[in-house]
Amino acid sequence: MTDESTTMPNPEPATTAETVPDESTGENADVDAEPDAEGGRPAVAATDLRHAFGDVGVLDGVSLSVAPGEIVALVGPNGSGKSTLLRFLARVRAPDEGTVTVGSTDTGGGRARVGYLPQQPGFRAGFSAADTLEFYAQFVDEDVDVAGVLERVGLADAAGRRVGALSGGMTRLLGLGRALVGDPAVVVLDEPASGLDPGMVERLFDIVSDLADAGIAVVLSSHNLGPVERTADRVVVLDGGRFVADGDPRAVVESVGAADLQTAFGDLVATEEVTGR
Amino acid sequence: MSGGDLDGVGDLFAIAARELRTVVRTPAVVALSVVFGLTVVAVAAAGSGARGGYVPLVLDLLPFVEALVPLLAVALCYRAVLSDRESGELDVLRTFDVSRPAYVGGVYLGRGLAVALVVFGSLLAAGATVPMLSPPDPTFLALNEAADSPVAFLRFSVLAVLFALAVAAVALAVSAAARTARQAIALAVGLLVAFVVGVDAAAIAGLASGTFGVDAVPLALAVSPNGAFRSLVLGVAVETGGAGSPVAALAGLVGWVVVALAVAVLTAWRPVE
Repeated sequence: MTDESTTMPNPEPATTAETVPDESTGENADVDAEPDAEGGRPAVAATDLRHAFGDVGVLDGVSLSVAPGEIVALVGPNGSGKSTLLRFLARVRAPDEGTVTVGSTDTGGGRARVGYLPQQPGFRAGFSAADTLEFYAQFVDEDVDVAGVLERVGLADAAGRRVGALSGGMTRLLGLGRALVGDPAVVVLDEPASGLDPGMVERLFDIVSDLADAGIAVVLSSHNLGPVERTADRVVVLDGGRFVADGDPRAVVESVGAADLQTAFGDLVATEEVTGR
Repeated sequence: MSGGDLDGVGDLFAIAARELRTVVRTPAVVALSVVFGLTVVAVAAAGSGARGGYVPLVLDLLPFVEALVPLLAVALCYRAVLSDRESGELDVLRTFDVSRPAYVGGVYLGRGLAVALVVFGSLLAAGATVPMLSPPDPTFLALNEAADSPVAFLRFSVLAVLFALAVAAVALAVSAAARTARQAIALAVGLLVAFVVGVDAAAIAGLASGTFGVDAVPLALAVSPNGAFRSLVLGVAVETGGAGSPVAALAGLVGWVVVALAVAVLTAWRPVE
Protein backbone atom coordinates (compact mmCIF):
# COMPACT_ATOMS: atom_id res chain seq x y z
CA MET A 1 0.00 0.00 0.00
CA THR A 2 1.41 3.32 -0.99
CA ASP A 3 0.08 6.78 -0.47
CA GLU A 4 0.08 9.60 -2.96
CA SER A 5 -0.18 12.99 -1.38
CA THR A 6 -1.11 16.17 -3.16
CA THR A 7 0.32 18.96 -1.09
CA MET A 8 -0.83 22.45 -1.76
CA PRO A 9 0.95 25.72 -1.10
CA ASN A 10 0.87 27.13 2.40
CA PRO A 11 -0.70 24.18 4.14
CA GLU A 12 -1.89 25.09 7.58
CA PRO A 13 -3.09 22.93 10.41
CA ALA A 14 -6.83 22.47 10.37
CA THR A 15 -8.19 25.15 12.62
CA THR A 16 -11.76 25.01 11.46
CA ALA A 17 -14.02 22.11 12.12
CA GLU A 18 -15.11 20.62 8.87
CA THR A 19 -18.62 20.14 10.14
CA VAL A 20 -20.83 22.43 12.12
CA PRO A 21 -21.21 20.46 15.35
CA ASP A 22 -24.79 21.44 16.06
CA GLU A 23 -25.91 20.30 12.66
CA SER A 24 -23.65 17.41 11.97
CA THR A 25 -24.80 13.92 12.51
CA GLY A 26 -23.45 10.42 12.40
CA GLU A 27 -19.80 9.90 11.73
CA ASN A 28 -17.61 12.90 11.87
CA ALA A 29 -15.77 13.67 8.65
CA ASP A 30 -12.70 14.70 10.59
CA VAL A 31 -10.56 11.97 9.18
CA ASP A 32 -7.24 12.35 7.52
CA ALA A 33 -4.96 9.86 5.87
CA GLU A 34 -4.40 8.01 9.12
CA PRO A 35 -5.92 4.55 9.50
CA ASP A 36 -9.55 4.75 10.51
CA ALA A 37 -11.10 3.29 13.66
CA GLU A 38 -11.30 -0.13 12.04
CA GLY A 39 -7.64 -0.04 11.18
CA GLY A 40 -8.06 0.37 7.45
CA ARG A 41 -6.63 3.24 5.49
CA PRO A 42 -9.09 5.50 3.70
CA ALA A 43 -9.21 5.16 -0.05
CA VAL A 44 -9.10 8.92 -0.37
CA ALA A 45 -8.76 11.65 2.22
CA ALA A 46 -8.96 15.40 1.90
CA THR A 47 -7.67 17.49 4.75
CA ASP A 48 -8.51 21.11 5.51
CA LEU A 49 -9.23 22.17 1.93
CA ARG A 50 -9.62 25.89 1.42
CA HIS A 51 -10.24 27.56 -1.88
CA ALA A 52 -11.49 30.83 -3.29
CA PHE A 53 -12.20 32.14 -6.76
CA GLY A 54 -10.98 35.68 -6.49
CA ASP A 55 -12.77 37.21 -3.52
CA VAL A 56 -15.40 34.51 -3.39
CA GLY A 57 -14.58 31.76 -0.92
CA VAL A 58 -15.78 28.31 -1.94
CA LEU A 59 -14.31 25.90 0.58
CA ASP A 60 -13.41 26.88 4.11
CA GLY A 61 -11.42 24.15 5.81
CA VAL A 62 -13.22 21.07 4.51
CA SER A 63 -11.98 17.60 5.37
CA LEU A 64 -13.37 14.32 4.07
CA SER A 65 -12.28 10.71 4.25
CA VAL A 66 -13.78 7.86 2.27
CA ALA A 67 -13.19 4.20 3.03
CA PRO A 68 -12.88 1.45 0.41
CA GLY A 69 -16.32 0.23 -0.59
CA GLU A 70 -18.04 3.28 0.87
CA ILE A 71 -20.46 5.48 -1.07
CA VAL A 72 -20.34 9.11 0.01
CA ALA A 73 -22.91 11.45 -1.52
CA LEU A 74 -22.07 15.12 -1.60
CA VAL A 75 -25.18 17.26 -1.70
CA GLY A 76 -25.66 20.98 -1.54
CA PRO A 77 -27.24 23.93 -3.30
CA ASN A 78 -26.15 24.91 -6.79
CA GLY A 79 -22.90 26.80 -6.57
CA SER A 80 -22.03 25.44 -3.15
CA GLY A 81 -18.67 24.15 -4.34
CA LYS A 82 -19.46 20.47 -4.88
CA SER A 83 -17.84 20.27 -8.31
CA THR A 84 -14.82 22.17 -7.05
CA LEU A 85 -14.37 19.75 -4.17
CA LEU A 86 -14.77 16.76 -6.50
CA ARG A 87 -12.12 18.14 -8.85
CA PHE A 88 -9.75 18.38 -5.91
CA LEU A 89 -10.51 14.79 -4.93
CA ALA A 90 -9.88 13.68 -8.53
CA ARG A 91 -6.67 15.71 -8.41
CA VAL A 92 -7.30 17.59 -11.61
CA ARG A 93 -7.25 20.90 -9.72
CA ALA A 94 -5.28 22.04 -6.71
CA PRO A 95 -6.91 23.87 -3.82
CA ASP A 96 -5.36 27.02 -2.44
CA GLU A 97 -4.63 25.12 0.76
CA GLY A 98 -5.00 21.59 2.07
CA THR A 99 -4.04 18.11 1.02
CA VAL A 100 -5.62 15.24 -0.87
CA THR A 101 -4.27 11.78 -0.22
CA VAL A 102 -5.16 8.76 -2.30
CA GLY A 103 -4.39 5.33 -0.94
CA SER A 104 -3.31 2.78 -3.50
CA THR A 105 -2.55 -0.87 -3.69
CA ASP A 106 -0.19 -0.01 -6.49
CA THR A 107 3.28 -0.97 -5.33
CA GLY A 108 4.96 0.16 -8.50
CA GLY A 109 5.40 3.68 -7.26
CA GLY A 110 3.13 5.13 -9.92
CA ARG A 111 0.52 7.74 -9.15
CA ALA A 112 -2.69 6.20 -7.87
CA ARG A 113 -5.48 6.92 -10.33
CA VAL A 114 -8.84 8.31 -9.37
CA GLY A 115 -11.61 7.57 -11.84
CA TYR A 116 -13.43 10.79 -12.65
CA LEU A 117 -16.74 11.55 -14.31
CA PRO A 118 -17.04 15.29 -15.05
CA GLN A 119 -20.39 17.02 -14.73
CA GLN A 120 -20.68 17.32 -18.50
CA PRO A 121 -18.76 14.37 -19.94
CA GLY A 122 -17.62 14.97 -23.50
CA PHE A 123 -16.00 12.76 -26.08
CA ARG A 124 -14.35 13.09 -29.44
CA ALA A 125 -17.01 13.06 -32.13
CA GLY A 126 -16.75 10.34 -34.72
CA PHE A 127 -15.44 7.72 -32.32
CA SER A 128 -17.53 4.78 -31.17
CA ALA A 129 -18.10 3.99 -27.50
CA ALA A 130 -15.64 1.08 -27.73
CA ASP A 131 -13.06 3.22 -29.59
CA THR A 132 -13.28 5.80 -26.83
CA LEU A 133 -12.62 3.33 -24.03
CA GLU A 134 -9.86 1.63 -26.02
CA PHE A 135 -8.14 4.99 -26.35
CA TYR A 136 -8.13 5.52 -22.60
CA ALA A 137 -7.18 1.91 -21.95
CA GLN A 138 -3.79 2.66 -23.47
CA PHE A 139 -2.86 4.82 -20.49
CA VAL A 140 -3.21 2.23 -17.75
CA ASP A 141 -0.73 -0.46 -16.87
CA GLU A 142 -2.92 -3.51 -17.04
CA ASP A 143 -4.89 -4.97 -19.91
CA VAL A 144 -8.40 -3.61 -20.05
CA ASP A 145 -11.42 -5.65 -21.00
CA VAL A 146 -13.23 -2.88 -22.87
CA ALA A 147 -16.21 -5.10 -23.62
CA GLY A 148 -16.38 -5.96 -19.93
CA VAL A 149 -16.37 -2.29 -18.93
CA LEU A 150 -19.14 -1.54 -21.41
CA GLU A 151 -21.09 -4.50 -20.04
CA ARG A 152 -20.54 -3.24 -16.50
CA VAL A 153 -22.15 0.12 -17.29
CA GLY A 154 -24.89 -1.35 -19.43
CA LEU A 155 -23.57 -0.23 -22.80
CA ALA A 156 -22.63 -3.60 -24.29
CA ASP A 157 -25.20 -3.20 -27.05
CA ALA A 158 -23.94 0.29 -27.88
CA ALA A 159 -20.26 -0.61 -28.22
CA GLY A 160 -20.12 0.27 -31.90
CA ARG A 161 -22.35 3.32 -31.72
CA ARG A 162 -20.81 6.73 -32.36
CA VAL A 163 -20.62 8.83 -29.21
CA GLY A 164 -22.59 11.58 -30.95
CA ALA A 165 -25.47 9.15 -31.41
CA LEU A 166 -25.67 8.22 -27.73
CA SER A 167 -28.50 9.59 -25.62
CA GLY A 168 -27.71 11.87 -22.67
CA GLY A 169 -28.04 8.96 -20.27
CA MET A 170 -25.85 6.70 -22.35
CA THR A 171 -23.25 9.45 -22.63
CA ARG A 172 -23.07 9.61 -18.84
CA LEU A 173 -22.81 5.84 -18.63
CA LEU A 174 -19.94 5.96 -21.12
CA GLY A 175 -18.33 8.63 -18.93
CA LEU A 176 -18.75 6.28 -15.99
CA GLY A 177 -17.17 3.48 -18.01
CA ARG A 178 -14.25 5.74 -18.85
CA ALA A 179 -13.83 6.49 -15.15
CA LEU A 180 -13.67 2.75 -14.46
CA VAL A 181 -10.93 2.00 -17.00
CA GLY A 182 -7.96 0.60 -15.12
CA ASP A 183 -10.03 -0.43 -12.08
CA PRO A 184 -9.31 2.60 -9.90
CA ALA A 185 -9.81 2.18 -6.15
CA VAL A 186 -11.63 5.51 -6.02
CA VAL A 187 -14.18 6.99 -8.40
CA VAL A 188 -15.41 10.56 -8.27
CA LEU A 189 -18.71 11.20 -10.04
CA ASP A 190 -19.96 14.75 -10.54
CA GLU A 191 -23.74 14.67 -10.82
CA PRO A 192 -23.83 11.35 -12.68
CA ALA A 193 -27.65 11.29 -12.65
CA SER A 194 -28.22 14.83 -13.85
CA GLY A 195 -30.82 15.03 -16.59
CA LEU A 196 -31.55 11.31 -16.63
CA ASP A 197 -35.00 9.77 -16.61
CA PRO A 198 -36.05 7.95 -13.41
CA GLY A 199 -35.35 4.53 -14.84
CA MET A 200 -31.87 5.56 -15.92
CA VAL A 201 -31.23 7.13 -12.50
CA GLU A 202 -32.09 3.86 -10.77
CA ARG A 203 -29.87 1.98 -13.19
CA LEU A 204 -26.99 4.34 -12.52
CA PHE A 205 -27.30 4.06 -8.75
CA ASP A 206 -27.48 0.26 -9.08
CA ILE A 207 -24.15 0.41 -10.89
CA VAL A 208 -22.74 2.63 -8.14
CA SER A 209 -23.86 0.06 -5.54
CA ASP A 210 -22.15 -2.68 -7.50
CA LEU A 211 -18.95 -0.65 -7.58
CA ALA A 212 -19.03 -0.23 -3.83
CA ASP A 213 -19.73 -3.93 -3.38
CA ALA A 214 -16.55 -4.54 -5.37
CA GLY A 215 -14.59 -2.46 -2.84
CA ILE A 216 -14.39 0.76 -4.82
CA ALA A 217 -14.74 4.00 -2.86
CA VAL A 218 -17.34 6.20 -4.54
CA VAL A 219 -17.76 9.93 -4.02
CA LEU A 220 -20.61 11.46 -5.97
CA SER A 221 -22.60 14.63 -6.05
CA SER A 222 -26.28 14.52 -6.86
CA HIS A 223 -29.55 16.36 -6.60
CA ASN A 224 -31.45 13.06 -6.87
CA LEU A 225 -31.93 12.78 -3.14
CA GLY A 226 -34.29 9.79 -3.21
CA PRO A 227 -31.75 7.41 -4.77
CA VAL A 228 -29.01 9.03 -2.69
CA GLU A 229 -30.91 8.27 0.52
CA ARG A 230 -31.37 4.66 -0.55
CA THR A 231 -27.90 4.05 -1.88
CA ALA A 232 -25.31 6.18 -0.07
CA ASP A 233 -23.53 5.02 3.06
CA ARG A 234 -22.94 8.64 4.01
CA VAL A 235 -24.42 11.93 3.02
CA VAL A 236 -22.34 15.08 3.33
CA VAL A 237 -24.16 18.39 2.97
CA LEU A 238 -21.97 21.21 1.71
CA ASP A 239 -23.13 24.77 2.15
CA GLY A 240 -21.38 28.05 2.69
CA GLY A 241 -18.00 26.42 2.17
CA ARG A 242 -18.50 24.03 5.11
CA PHE A 243 -20.09 20.67 5.76
CA VAL A 244 -23.31 21.38 7.60
CA ALA A 245 -24.16 17.70 7.98
CA ASP A 246 -22.30 14.46 7.58
CA GLY A 247 -23.49 10.98 8.34
CA ASP A 248 -25.70 8.05 7.57
CA PRO A 249 -28.65 9.25 5.45
CA ARG A 250 -31.14 8.12 8.08
CA ALA A 251 -29.26 9.92 10.83
CA VAL A 252 -29.07 13.11 8.77
CA VAL A 253 -32.81 12.98 8.18
CA GLU A 254 -33.58 12.31 11.84
CA SER A 255 -31.22 15.02 13.06
CA VAL A 256 -33.59 17.68 11.75
CA GLY A 257 -36.75 15.72 12.38
CA ALA A 258 -37.51 15.44 8.70
CA ALA A 259 -39.40 12.73 6.90
CA ASP A 260 -36.90 12.20 4.17
CA LEU A 261 -33.62 13.52 2.80
CA GLN A 262 -35.36 15.91 0.45
CA THR A 263 -37.06 17.66 3.38
CA ALA A 264 -33.95 17.48 5.52
CA PHE A 265 -31.93 19.08 2.76
CA GLY A 266 -34.31 22.03 2.73
CA ASP A 267 -34.02 22.41 6.50
CA LEU A 268 -30.24 22.13 6.49
CA VAL A 269 -29.53 24.67 3.80
CA ALA A 270 -32.62 26.89 3.93
CA THR A 271 -31.05 29.45 6.24
CA GLU A 272 -27.76 29.41 4.44
CA GLU A 273 -26.92 32.03 1.90
CA VAL A 274 -26.42 30.80 -1.63
CA THR A 275 -23.92 33.07 -3.23
CA GLY A 276 -23.77 31.52 -6.66
CA ARG A 277 -20.36 29.99 -6.21
CA MET B 1 -8.74 -6.66 -24.45
CA SER B 2 -6.85 -3.46 -24.79
CA GLY B 3 -3.35 -3.37 -23.47
CA GLY B 4 -1.83 -0.40 -21.74
CA ASP B 5 1.42 0.14 -19.87
CA LEU B 6 2.52 3.06 -21.98
CA ASP B 7 5.34 5.28 -20.90
CA GLY B 8 5.55 8.94 -21.84
CA VAL B 9 6.50 8.21 -25.44
CA GLY B 10 3.75 5.62 -25.70
CA ASP B 11 1.25 8.15 -24.33
CA LEU B 12 2.44 10.62 -26.94
CA PHE B 13 1.84 8.19 -29.79
CA ALA B 14 -1.57 7.21 -28.42
CA ILE B 15 -2.58 10.87 -28.38
CA ALA B 16 -1.11 11.40 -31.85
CA ALA B 17 -3.07 8.49 -33.30
CA ARG B 18 -6.26 9.88 -31.81
CA GLU B 19 -5.58 13.30 -33.33
CA LEU B 20 -5.02 11.82 -36.75
CA ARG B 21 -8.23 9.84 -36.51
CA THR B 22 -10.05 12.96 -35.39
CA VAL B 23 -8.78 14.95 -38.36
CA VAL B 24 -9.71 12.21 -40.81
CA ARG B 25 -13.20 11.91 -39.29
CA THR B 26 -13.94 15.64 -39.28
CA PRO B 27 -15.73 16.42 -42.55
CA ALA B 28 -15.00 20.17 -42.39
CA VAL B 29 -11.28 19.54 -42.03
CA VAL B 30 -11.28 17.00 -44.85
CA ALA B 31 -13.18 19.44 -47.05
CA LEU B 32 -10.75 22.22 -46.25
CA SER B 33 -7.81 19.97 -47.07
CA VAL B 34 -9.37 19.04 -50.41
CA VAL B 35 -10.01 22.70 -51.20
CA PHE B 36 -6.41 23.50 -50.31
CA GLY B 37 -5.12 20.78 -52.61
CA LEU B 38 -7.39 21.73 -55.48
CA THR B 39 -6.47 25.40 -55.12
CA VAL B 40 -2.75 24.70 -55.22
CA VAL B 41 -3.11 22.45 -58.27
CA ALA B 42 -5.42 24.97 -59.94
CA VAL B 43 -2.92 27.77 -59.39
CA ALA B 44 -0.21 25.58 -60.90
CA ALA B 45 -2.32 24.60 -63.89
CA ALA B 46 -3.74 28.06 -64.55
CA GLY B 47 -0.51 30.02 -64.19
CA SER B 48 2.33 30.18 -66.63
CA GLY B 49 4.83 28.75 -64.16
CA ALA B 50 4.13 25.09 -64.83
CA ARG B 51 4.72 25.70 -68.53
CA GLY B 52 8.09 27.21 -67.81
CA GLY B 53 9.44 24.56 -65.48
CA TYR B 54 9.74 23.78 -61.79
CA VAL B 55 11.44 27.00 -60.66
CA PRO B 56 8.88 29.26 -62.35
CA LEU B 57 6.17 27.13 -60.75
CA VAL B 58 7.75 27.65 -57.32
CA LEU B 59 7.71 31.39 -57.88
CA ASP B 60 4.09 31.18 -59.04
CA LEU B 61 3.04 29.16 -55.99
CA LEU B 62 5.06 31.03 -53.37
CA PRO B 63 2.56 33.81 -52.56
CA PHE B 64 -0.36 31.38 -52.55
CA VAL B 65 1.44 28.96 -50.29
CA GLU B 66 2.39 31.82 -47.97
CA ALA B 67 -1.27 32.70 -47.58
CA LEU B 68 -2.94 29.28 -47.75
CA VAL B 69 -0.59 27.16 -45.64
CA PRO B 70 -1.06 29.26 -42.48
CA LEU B 71 -4.81 29.16 -43.06
CA LEU B 72 -4.77 25.37 -43.30
CA ALA B 73 -2.43 24.90 -40.32
CA VAL B 74 -4.41 27.25 -38.12
CA ALA B 75 -7.72 25.69 -39.11
CA LEU B 76 -6.48 22.22 -38.20
CA CYS B 77 -4.84 23.17 -34.90
CA TYR B 78 -6.30 26.27 -33.29
CA ARG B 79 -8.93 24.38 -31.29
CA ALA B 80 -7.14 21.08 -30.69
CA VAL B 81 -6.36 21.55 -26.98
CA LEU B 82 -9.28 23.88 -26.37
CA SER B 83 -11.80 21.29 -27.54
CA ASP B 84 -10.40 18.78 -25.06
CA ARG B 85 -10.61 21.39 -22.33
CA GLU B 86 -14.20 22.30 -23.21
CA SER B 87 -15.31 18.68 -23.32
CA GLY B 88 -13.65 17.85 -20.01
CA GLU B 89 -11.39 15.28 -21.67
CA LEU B 90 -8.32 17.24 -20.62
CA ASP B 91 -9.30 16.72 -16.98
CA VAL B 92 -9.97 13.05 -17.55
CA LEU B 93 -6.65 12.54 -19.33
CA ARG B 94 -4.95 14.02 -16.29
CA THR B 95 -6.49 11.32 -14.10
CA PHE B 96 -4.65 8.84 -16.33
CA ASP B 97 -1.41 10.59 -15.43
CA VAL B 98 -0.68 11.80 -18.95
CA SER B 99 2.10 14.39 -18.79
CA ARG B 100 1.87 17.79 -20.40
CA PRO B 101 4.79 17.18 -22.80
CA ALA B 102 3.32 13.83 -23.87
CA TYR B 103 -0.09 15.37 -24.43
CA VAL B 104 1.09 18.45 -26.32
CA GLY B 105 3.68 16.42 -28.24
CA GLY B 106 1.02 13.91 -29.24
CA VAL B 107 -1.43 16.55 -30.40
CA TYR B 108 1.33 18.27 -32.36
CA LEU B 109 2.55 15.04 -33.91
CA GLY B 110 -0.93 13.97 -34.97
CA ARG B 111 -2.16 17.32 -36.26
CA GLY B 112 1.25 18.23 -37.69
CA LEU B 113 1.38 14.97 -39.60
CA ALA B 114 -2.03 15.68 -41.08
CA VAL B 115 -1.00 19.21 -42.08
CA ALA B 116 2.29 17.95 -43.52
CA LEU B 117 0.61 15.24 -45.58
CA VAL B 118 -1.95 17.65 -47.04
CA VAL B 119 0.67 20.30 -47.87
CA PHE B 120 3.22 17.89 -49.26
CA GLY B 121 0.67 15.87 -51.21
CA SER B 122 -0.92 18.96 -52.70
CA LEU B 123 2.41 20.41 -53.76
CA LEU B 124 3.51 17.13 -55.29
CA ALA B 125 0.29 17.10 -57.30
CA ALA B 126 0.99 20.69 -58.37
CA GLY B 127 4.54 19.71 -59.34
CA ALA B 128 3.17 16.90 -61.48
CA THR B 129 1.61 19.49 -63.76
CA VAL B 130 5.06 20.57 -64.99
CA PRO B 131 5.83 17.52 -67.17
CA MET B 132 2.26 17.59 -68.42
CA LEU B 133 2.06 21.29 -69.28
CA SER B 134 5.58 22.37 -70.15
CA PRO B 135 6.55 22.24 -73.83
CA PRO B 136 8.99 19.45 -74.71
CA ASP B 137 11.78 21.66 -75.99
CA PRO B 138 11.63 25.18 -74.69
CA THR B 139 13.59 27.31 -77.07
CA PHE B 140 12.61 30.77 -75.90
CA LEU B 141 14.58 30.54 -72.65
CA ALA B 142 18.13 29.52 -72.04
CA LEU B 143 17.43 27.18 -69.22
CA ASN B 144 20.03 25.46 -67.17
CA GLU B 145 18.88 21.92 -66.55
CA ALA B 146 20.59 21.90 -63.18
CA ALA B 147 18.85 25.12 -62.13
CA ASP B 148 15.39 23.90 -63.06
CA SER B 149 14.81 20.42 -61.82
CA PRO B 150 12.27 18.51 -59.75
CA VAL B 151 14.79 18.74 -56.91
CA ALA B 152 14.20 22.47 -56.62
CA PHE B 153 10.48 21.86 -56.39
CA LEU B 154 11.03 19.08 -53.86
CA ARG B 155 13.09 21.46 -51.73
CA PHE B 156 10.29 23.99 -51.97
CA SER B 157 7.76 21.37 -50.89
CA VAL B 158 9.85 20.30 -47.91
CA LEU B 159 10.30 23.92 -46.87
CA ALA B 160 6.55 24.43 -47.19
CA VAL B 161 6.03 21.50 -44.81
CA LEU B 162 8.49 23.04 -42.35
CA PHE B 163 6.65 26.34 -42.67
CA ALA B 164 3.32 24.59 -42.08
CA LEU B 165 4.69 22.83 -38.99
CA ALA B 166 5.89 26.16 -37.56
CA VAL B 167 2.47 27.75 -38.00
CA ALA B 168 0.80 24.59 -36.67
CA ALA B 169 2.91 24.85 -33.51
CA VAL B 170 1.85 28.46 -33.05
CA ALA B 171 -1.80 27.53 -33.60
CA LEU B 172 -1.42 24.75 -31.05
CA ALA B 173 -0.05 27.25 -28.54
CA VAL B 174 -3.11 29.40 -29.21
CA SER B 175 -5.40 26.44 -28.59
CA ALA B 176 -3.64 25.67 -25.30
CA ALA B 177 -3.52 29.25 -24.06
CA ALA B 178 -7.07 30.23 -25.03
CA ARG B 179 -9.79 29.55 -22.47
CA THR B 180 -12.71 30.25 -24.79
CA ALA B 181 -13.42 29.72 -28.47
CA ARG B 182 -13.69 33.48 -28.89
CA GLN B 183 -10.20 33.96 -27.47
CA ALA B 184 -8.85 31.24 -29.74
CA ILE B 185 -10.40 32.77 -32.86
CA ALA B 186 -9.18 36.25 -31.97
CA LEU B 187 -5.65 35.04 -31.28
CA ALA B 188 -5.55 32.86 -34.40
CA VAL B 189 -6.80 35.63 -36.69
CA GLY B 190 -4.41 38.12 -35.11
CA LEU B 191 -1.45 35.84 -35.64
CA LEU B 192 -2.48 35.06 -39.21
CA VAL B 193 -2.67 38.73 -40.07
CA ALA B 194 0.64 39.39 -38.31
CA PHE B 195 2.37 36.57 -40.14
CA VAL B 196 0.94 37.13 -43.61
CA VAL B 197 1.15 40.92 -43.78
CA GLY B 198 2.10 42.39 -40.41
CA VAL B 199 5.78 41.55 -40.20
CA ASP B 200 6.43 42.41 -43.85
CA ALA B 201 4.66 45.73 -43.38
CA ALA B 202 6.63 46.43 -40.21
CA ALA B 203 9.90 45.62 -42.01
CA ILE B 204 9.05 48.00 -44.86
CA ALA B 205 8.00 50.70 -42.41
CA GLY B 206 11.19 50.25 -40.43
CA LEU B 207 13.24 50.44 -43.59
CA ALA B 208 11.38 53.53 -44.82
CA SER B 209 11.72 55.34 -41.54
CA GLY B 210 15.37 54.42 -41.20
CA THR B 211 14.78 52.56 -37.96
CA PHE B 212 17.00 49.82 -39.32
CA GLY B 213 19.16 49.43 -42.38
CA VAL B 214 18.97 47.11 -45.38
CA ASP B 215 21.28 44.64 -43.68
CA ALA B 216 18.74 44.09 -40.93
CA VAL B 217 15.88 43.25 -43.30
CA PRO B 218 16.67 39.52 -43.62
CA LEU B 219 16.84 39.19 -39.85
CA ALA B 220 13.60 41.14 -39.44
CA LEU B 221 11.89 38.87 -41.97
CA ALA B 222 13.25 35.78 -40.25
CA VAL B 223 11.25 36.82 -37.21
CA SER B 224 7.99 35.80 -38.91
CA PRO B 225 7.36 32.28 -40.21
CA ASN B 226 6.26 33.72 -43.55
CA GLY B 227 9.38 35.84 -43.96
CA ALA B 228 11.63 32.97 -42.94
CA PHE B 229 9.89 30.60 -45.33
CA ARG B 230 10.23 33.07 -48.21
CA SER B 231 13.89 33.60 -47.47
CA LEU B 232 14.51 29.87 -47.41
CA VAL B 233 12.63 29.28 -50.65
CA LEU B 234 14.46 32.04 -52.49
CA GLY B 235 17.81 31.23 -50.97
CA VAL B 236 17.78 27.44 -50.82
CA ALA B 237 15.07 26.02 -53.04
CA VAL B 238 15.46 28.16 -56.16
CA GLU B 239 18.82 29.69 -55.25
CA THR B 240 18.13 33.16 -56.54
CA GLY B 241 20.69 34.51 -54.11
CA GLY B 242 20.55 37.66 -52.05
CA ALA B 243 17.49 36.53 -50.18
CA GLY B 244 18.99 36.81 -46.77
CA SER B 245 20.51 34.35 -44.41
CA PRO B 246 19.08 30.84 -44.75
CA VAL B 247 20.56 29.99 -41.37
CA ALA B 248 18.74 32.86 -39.69
CA ALA B 249 15.55 31.94 -41.51
CA LEU B 250 15.83 28.29 -40.51
CA ALA B 251 16.58 29.29 -36.93
CA GLY B 252 13.51 31.53 -37.07
CA LEU B 253 11.21 28.69 -38.13
CA VAL B 254 12.68 26.21 -35.65
CA GLY B 255 12.53 28.88 -32.96
CA TRP B 256 8.81 29.37 -33.57
CA VAL B 257 8.25 25.62 -33.20
CA VAL B 258 10.25 25.39 -29.96
CA VAL B 259 8.82 28.49 -28.33
CA ALA B 260 5.25 27.72 -29.41
CA LEU B 261 5.40 24.14 -28.11
CA ALA B 262 6.90 25.37 -24.85
CA VAL B 263 4.01 27.83 -24.49
CA ALA B 264 1.54 25.04 -25.26
CA VAL B 265 3.07 22.76 -22.63
CA LEU B 266 3.08 25.47 -19.98
CA THR B 267 -0.48 26.64 -20.65
CA ALA B 268 -2.22 23.31 -21.34
CA TRP B 269 -2.93 22.88 -17.63
CA ARG B 270 -1.52 23.74 -14.26
CA PRO B 271 0.04 20.68 -12.67
CA VAL B 272 -1.43 19.60 -9.34
CA GLU B 273 1.77 18.06 -8.09
